Amino acid sequence: MTLQQILFIVISLVVLGSAFLVVTTRNLFHAALFLVVSFFGVAGFYVLLDAGFFAAAQVLVYIGAISILFIFAVMLTRDVITAQRGNSQWQAAAFVGAFLFLLMAILLGPFSITIRGHQFGNANWPFDMAGDAIKAAPSNFVGTMGSGLVSMDQYGVPFLLAGVLLLVAMVGAIWVARELRGREAEKAAAETAIDDADMDMNQPVQETLPLVDTNEAHESHDAAAVEKH
Amino acid sequence: MINGIPLYWYLIVSAALFCIGLYGVLARKNAIAVIMCVELMLNAVNINLIAFWRYITPAAISGLSFAAFIFVVAAAEAAVGLALIISIYRNTRSVDPEKIDSMKL
Repeated sequence: MTLQQILFIVISLVVLGSAFLVVTTRNLFHAALFLVVSFFGVAGFYVLLDAGFFAAAQVLVYIGAISILFIFAVMLTRDVITAQRGNSQWQAAAFVGAFLFLLMAILLGPFSITIRGHQFGNANWPFDMAGDAIKAAPSNFVGTMGSGLVSMDQYGVPFLLAGVLLLVAMVGAIWVARELRGREAEKAAAETAIDDADMDMNQPVQETLPLVDTNEAHESHDAAAVEKH
Repeated sequence: MINGIPLYWYLIVSAALFCIGLYGVLARKNAIAVIMCVELMLNAVNINLIAFWRYITPAAISGLSFAAFIFVVAAAEAAVGLALIISIYRNTRSVDPEKIDSMKL
C-alpha cells in the first residue's frame, strides 16, 4: 500500500465520518463544526488530486465564509433548535440514500453482481486507470484556467454571469433578511393583517391562531424597538 | 500524487458523501441543517469533477471551470437560503420545514 493510498483512506474516513455526524448529531452547532471538518477533508482530496488552487479556494470559501454563515444562522435561531434528530420520514430517507449509494457503487466501480443470470455492473470499467495509464500532472493549470475563464471564446460569458449571480444573491440576501422599521413595518403589518382576514373568509377551518399570535408578538416587539429609539 | 489510487475510489467516496447529504436533506428537522446537507452534496459533485479532470483530461480546463462555477453557486445558495431562513424565523418563530406551509394550497 502506497503512502497516497493510506492518505486517501484516512481522508475519506474523516470526510465521511464527519458528514455522517453532520446529518445525525442533535446539536446543530456541533453539526456546523463537523461540517467544517468535512470541508477540510475535501480540501485534502483536492491536494491529492494535484489541484492545490482548489484546496486553497475550498479553505477560503467554504471554511472561511460559508461555515461562518452557518454558525451565525445557527446562533440567530438558537431558541427554536429542536432536540429531535429526524422528521417523520427519516426511515424512507435512509432507504433512498442507501439504495442510491448501492446503485452508484455498482455503476461506478469495477464490480458486478449477478442476479438470476443477469449481470449488473461493469467488471471492465473503462476509466479504471492504474500504472502507466496515469497522466502526468499538469503544470500551471491555474494560469490556463484563468485565461480560459476571461477569454470570450471559452468561458467568458459564464464567468460574467457568475459575477452577476453573486451580486444578485448578495442584494437579494440583504433584501430578504432586512429588518423592517418604523412606517415600513406598520405597512407590512397592515398588509399581513389584510391577508389574514382574507384567509379567514376563504378558509374558516384553517388554523390561523398561531399566525395571529406571532404577528401580535412581532408588532409589540417592533413597537418596543421604536420606543427605544 | 495519484499513484496507486484508482479513479473509482474517488467516485465511490463522493457517491457516499452525496447519499449522506441526500439523507440529511430528506430527514433533518431544521432548515439550516438541510442547507448544510445541500453543501455536502455540492462538495461531492466537486470531488467528482476534479477527479475526472485529473484522471481523464488534465490538459483541458472544462472540469476545473465547472468546479469553479459550483463554488460560486454554492456561495450564492448559502447566502440566499440562510437569509430566507432568518426571515422566516423572524415571522413565524420556527425553522422546521414541515411547519413552513403557508404557501400550500
